[in-house]
Amino acid sequence: MTAAEKEVPAPRPMNEGRARIRRLLRSGRVLVGGGIVLVIVICALFAPLLAPQDPNNQDLLAQLLPPAWSADGVPEHPLGTDNLGRDTLSRLIYSTRVAVLVAVTASLGAMLLGTTLALVAGYFGGLIDWLVSRAVELWLSFPPVVLSLILIVGFGVGLGNVILAIILVDWTRFCRVVRSEVLVVRRQDYVDAARLAGFSHFRTLWSEVLPAVGPLVLTLLSLEMGIAVIVEAILSFVGMSVESTVPAWGVMIADARKDMFQSIWGMALPIMAIIITVLGFNLLGDGLRRALDPKLRQREIQ
Amino acid sequence: MNGGIFGVIAKRIIVALPIVLLASILVFVVLRLLPADPVAMSVPPNATRDEVEALRRALGLHLPIHEQYWIWLTKIATGTLGNSITYAQPVFRLIGQSLPATIELVVVAAVFATVIGLAGGLVMHRLQGRAGEQAADVASTLIMSVPEFLWAIFFILLFGVALNWLPFSGRLDPGVSVPHTTGFLLLDCLIAGRPGAFVNALEHMLLPALALAFGTAPLLMRVLRSSLMEVAQEDYVTMARLRGLNERQILLRHSFKNAFLPTLTLMGVQFSFLFGGTLLVEVIYGYPGIGNMMVEAVRNTDLPIIQGVALVYAFAVLVINLAVDVLVLLLNPKLRVRR
Repeated sequence: MTAAEKEVPAPRPMNEGRARIRRLLRSGRVLVGGGIVLVIVICALFAPLLAPQDPNNQDLLAQLLPPAWSADGVPEHPLGTDNLGRDTLSRLIYSTRVAVLVAVTASLGAMLLGTTLALVAGYFGGLIDWLVSRAVELWLSFPPVVLSLILIVGFGVGLGNVILAIILVDWTRFCRVVRSEVLVVRRQDYVDAARLAGFSHFRTLWSEVLPAVGPLVLTLLSLEMGIAVIVEAILSFVGMSVESTVPAWGVMIADARKDMFQSIWGMALPIMAIIITVLGFNLLGDGLRRALDPKLRQREIQ
Repeated sequence: MNGGIFGVIAKRIIVALPIVLLASILVFVVLRLLPADPVAMSVPPNATRDEVEALRRALGLHLPIHEQYWIWLTKIATGTLGNSITYAQPVFRLIGQSLPATIELVVVAAVFATVIGLAGGLVMHRLQGRAGEQAADVASTLIMSVPEFLWAIFFILLFGVALNWLPFSGRLDPGVSVPHTTGFLLLDCLIAGRPGAFVNALEHMLLPALALAFGTAPLLMRVLRSSLMEVAQEDYVTMARLRGLNERQILLRHSFKNAFLPTLTLMGVQFSFLFGGTLLVEVIYGYPGIGNMMVEAVRNTDLPIIQGVALVYAFAVLVINLAVDVLVLLLNPKLRVRR
């Protein structure tokens, strides 16, 4: 929210900014979504304090325990253990670190790359626009999963490369949508006025066009964070992301798969963790879109 | 009018060709960044340096990259797509064996997704302004937050392991076999006159297809609902209401027809995502299609297969988009008049 406010330039009347914040705080989606995201981030930051045990600590006498509330559960392992006797709750909590890291870095990267290209392409048009549009078309000719898999094969396995791959695949999500918005904004009178007032192209883009597409970018960013979490989970599920010692939800699902006939909890719990996280980002994005998009607001008022 | 349609198709194909060519360059260049050596991984550990070098030459890996690409391009043109390193067979033949399974899965999943998406969109439209609207809204956001690969695992746990209703591995039960004619199993079962095997194959396909459909349908649902919302403000809807038609008649005769087009346009994008979604769903269900083949090839660093399958995916996306564009053109009278 504060980031959005910083992007709103001074020329806008102050009450508009305050009205936006008020709308955001009244939106149930933003509150619930933001709340979920906040909890996840706290888990990631304070994992060593919150987790009851070391996530890699093996207790071979307590393998595949069910959660504590079922008959065979024990209170030392509130959500049970995996096939090596590692504490599921601790592993779930530590896994938020990978999720949050990927969500933040990959989606910010994709946002920077995609939005920059969209601004330049939409604003200047001509050859640059043609090139960027063709690149987007080329990228969209692959299903995203396939493209990220190819990139991982090319770069090699590892979390850093997964983040890079997500950026290089998902910039199009920003570029496509933001570019068409820039095309609309560019024709507005206030953009012409800025140019006539002697603003450079860069300054016009920065202080007139960017703020106009800011809410859209923020919404896309929130949705992209959810997508990044899913893509990382997919890649760590097929063993192409983190090392096997790093706890991550995708790794947990893959590990628990061999024992799903003995215990479904090992798979069900990380799945729930992923869904709740993605739901948080989606609710937040959806709420931001409804609260910040003037067109949508008008439609709802009608 | 037909000439117009074919003209559009021809034009689209001409535009698509350079995209396929660029896509092949992209795949090729990215895969040549590879840090691992595909040769080192395919020879026995005790191979001598000379043997490795001989294999490298046999695979053409000693050549500069543009020459390697040219060789691959000629192999695409001649239809072999090169030889697989692991199987020592033409990639084209390998893909030909697996592709029907994937196409069959995609078609069944697309039918499910369309039915669920359209029905859901209509239900959400009817719920508008009623008590259930908020609940339906939250439910659709929740469903939309679950990607197809989690649906796939969830369905295995629920219908496979916990309830034990449906099989979740492969295309047929172990013991059941059907003579191979087309590669499309459902079709093969019908040709062979084996209703039992047909049901068995359908059961195996149900969970993966549903997982894919659930990953795709919610967005269709939303778009249909919001275009129904927009259409509801059109004059012809008001007119129909003034003529005394009831809401159901208005919805089916007027609103739906017009609101369907944006949904159809979206389907093009969504179904190409669905095609990509098969990759993981196939891996999870041990379903022998090109997705499984791709992931296995990635594990073996079998570059010719990875390149070939990636190209097939790109081609499939283009074909799906083209098909949807043609459908939109056929169904939208406004676009039809213009020549």
